[in-house]
Amino acid sequence: MSQHDRTHHARIATGKGDPQCFAGTAGGPPKFKVGDRVRIKDMPDIFYTRCQVYTRGAVGEVAVVTHESPAPEDEAWGHVDKSEWFYIVRFKQTDLWPEYPAAFANDTLQTEFSERWLEAV
Amino acid sequence: MSHDHDHNAPAAMVDEISDFEALEIAVREICIEKGLFSAEDHRKFTEFAEHIGPTPAARMVAKAWLDPEYKKLVMTDAIAASKAVGVDYLNPTGFGTPSDYTDLRVLEDTPSVHHVVVCTLCSCYPRPILGFQPEWYRTPNYRRRLVRWPRQVLAEFGLTLPAEVDVRVEDSNQKCRFIVMPVRPAGTEGWTEDQLTEIVTRDCLIGVALPKPGVTSNLELPVHRAAKPAHH
Ligand SMILES: [Fe+2]
Repeated sequence: MSQHDRTHHARIATGKGDPQCFAGTAGGPPKFKVGDRVRIKDMPDIFYTRCQVYTRGAVGEVAVVTHESPAPEDEAWGHVDKSEWFYIVRFKQTDLWPEYPAAFANDTLQTEFSERWLEAV
Repeated sequence: MSHDHDHNAPAAMVDEISDFEALEIAVREICIEKGLFSAEDHRKFTEFAEHIGPTPAARMVAKAWLDPEYKKLVMTDAIAASKAVGVDYLNPTGFGTPSDYTDLRVLEDTPSVHHVVVCTLCSCYPRPILGFQPEWYRTPNYRRRLVRWPRQVLAEFGLTLPAEVDVRVEDSNQKCRFIVMPVRPAGTEGWTEDQLTEIVTRDCLIGVALPKPGVTSNLELPVHRAAKPAHH
């Protein structure tokens, strides 16, 4: 019989919500603020990730500091004892896709990262 | 009992089920046996899941168009603002735990920026306030093409945006969930909240359409028939 606690998440999220149940568990303030330029690291991800390949190496700007949560790379395996700050980063589409038409150079794309994926530019 | 009863047997309740349906039943029964939830919980959750739809999100947008104070709440704490349209995110089913992540964000369009939402990794969607995803939202076709060729994909939905309107794609890949608040269209001056709610369709809330007076339903996408359909 497995000893894995399958209702842990449900219990900690009840009445608070997820990610709210992880507020205050990142161990400090966010490293980046809105407007900061950041580069997406290209780290190995052989098991699980939610960091899209199309963003690796691209430079964008922090648009929103969202919340604290365990990173999906840990949470996927039930490791929820450590959290990170999360950020919505805004990219220029022309910085993501080489063939994106210059006529639409102001088009943007936003997506979210945990702090481990970001480095200051 | 006569021997010809087979010829007059009542029709089976279920003709056939797919592999996924069989898998769902098997997993559900194991969960009930293990006590993770009861059959009654499952029935209640199924009823909840079958009645949710985009109307609360449409009403949130309509209310925000009419009430600047409510709009401030929508933009700063959409989970709190959901209560005014009948969705309690922390207890949406009226029982058990939250049914989705609880960080809802509203993307406000302006005359010069248009938002559209996708999840390239799966099909993340704010279900408590928007119901279940349309089938196309889950397709790899929409997911992989929208991030790269957004204007072309929007044009396939009948939405051609001029170059002076910037397109901003939101790839919803983590715990945040998103709805789009379009610009209130011209021709709706003096309209009531109910009237405005009707034109904020699901497609408008995802960002693949813009609200228009007189348009209260989603675009009917063409169905491409299978070349070799299965016969049951
Ligand atoms: Fe998803």
